[in-house]
Amino acid sequence: MIFEDIFEPIEVITHFKDGQMRPVRFKWNGRVYKVFQLNGHWVSNQGYNRQHHFSVIADTSDYFELLFDGFNFDWQIARVCLDG
Amino acid sequence: MDKRRVIMHIDADAFFASVEQGFNPLLRGKPVVVGGSETQRGVVHTASYEARARGVRTGMPLFRAKAVCPEAVFLKGNYGHYKAVSLIFQEVYLRYTPEVEFTSLDDAYLDLSGALHLYPSARWVAEKIQQEVWSLTGVSVSIGIGGNKVIARIASGLKKPGGIVEVPAGEEQTFLADLPVDFLPGIGRMAKEKLFDLRILKIGQLAKLPKRVMEQLFGKNGVKIWRFARGEDVSPVMRKIFPKQISRETSFEEDTSDLKIVKGTLQYLCERIGKKLREERLICRTLGVKIKYSDFRFHATSARLPHAVNHGAELFGAAERLFDRLRLRRTRIRHVGVSVSDIESVNYQRFLFDEQTRRETLDSVIDEIRERYGFMAILPADTLELKRKYRMEANGYILHNPALTR
Repeated sequence: MIFEDIFEPIEVITHFKDGQMRPVRFKWNGRVYKVFQLNGHWVSNQGYNRQHHFSVIADTSDYFELLFDGFNFDWQIARVCLDG
Repeated sequence: MDKRRVIMHIDADAFFASVEQGFNPLLRGKPVVVGGSETQRGVVHTASYEARARGVRTGMPLFRAKAVCPEAVFLKGNYGHYKAVSLIFQEVYLRYTPEVEFTSLDDAYLDLSGALHLYPSARWVAEKIQQEVWSLTGVSVSIGIGGNKVIARIASGLKKPGGIVEVPAGEEQTFLADLPVDFLPGIGRMAKEKLFDLRILKIGQLAKLPKRVMEQLFGKNGVKIWRFARGEDVSPVMRKIFPKQISRETSFEEDTSDLKIVKGTLQYLCERIGKKLREERLICRTLGVKIKYSDFRFHATSARLPHAVNHGAELFGAAERLFDRLRLRRTRIRHVGVSVSDIESVNYQRFLFDEQTRRETLDSVIDEIRERYGFMAILPADTLELKRKYRMEANGYILHNPALTR
């Protein structure tokens, strides 16, 4: 199993409800991935910047870590996990 | 009303590894080792049960773990993951009783004595907590239930992973009698050997010793252990406890005899401890330093500080003195660590017009700058030497043991 750091900007459709947010779909490398399962969410701080990390499984069964920067309001694909 | 205390101890099973498996389901069922990549130097912090079954143990060097379990997935660990899961644990536990003592990220004591009338039984609460924690985090917890903290703690360790062990009131001594002596808190390797020489192997045998013998063997601590062996412990579950110790340590990427790097690292670790103390409004009165040499020989020492401190530079002053006293060999250094203990809340007498007031003002400004721009926005110049060795991010150097980087 290999983890690869990516940190590339992506477009994400996000669902906001009850003060919570969750990514629903994202587009990376021209391909749209549907979030099949949200495994976990954690927060880190970069100074005043609050960054929200989401560990997700896509409909392709791939694992991704998505990163939302609360200061810039942008999403990145932080890392992927390649099974094999 | 029943006055019996009902204490529950909850301990997560292979916490770091379970959290990683929870965050990434592709890791479930696979041997996972948290501590660093297999090519790195360092030791295993936690191994999943799958890795343990293949012989990987906590504290084992990573290269050896790789040798015994080549198929294991090696992860550096992520403190953010563990903190997030720990917050979920807290939320769950506090739903059942407000009397919760969090002793670390992954274990806690719950005092159910006053709340038990709300539930069918303590076991019912334990099962509900296990289910909730599992469904929310994917982490399994083992739970011990007893009349005091020591019994609950020992019980929680008996049926891992995912077990519940309940010790009925009045059966504490019977429960303990056949367990090995080192199940008792306070019995380490040395104490165990001492007792072994006396042919005392089980807790039941220890409980039958006269109290005075234990006092002669282990001093004040001996009496405490003797009481534990008899199933007695009156320590309360405290909602807010001060940490007994705060430590920060790291191995070097490669062994070094460059004192600038070693002392720069010590200073950096002291800065991190100072920040942590000030965040929690704590001070410490004792500081310890440890060094591990390239031949794996290990030395540690500690000293009482002249006054209580939480200022990084003062901590470093003391750490440097200890380090100079401790480092008597010319061998290269592999690992250094700083720890502080005798921790209490900030309650010391303030003085007028002295250096301390200036320092506190400086600290609060530095903390504000760091809060806003990240820990690395302002650093003692000597620690900049570390830039040659470590990558930086806004919140700190990325040290060799990321699971320990807080």
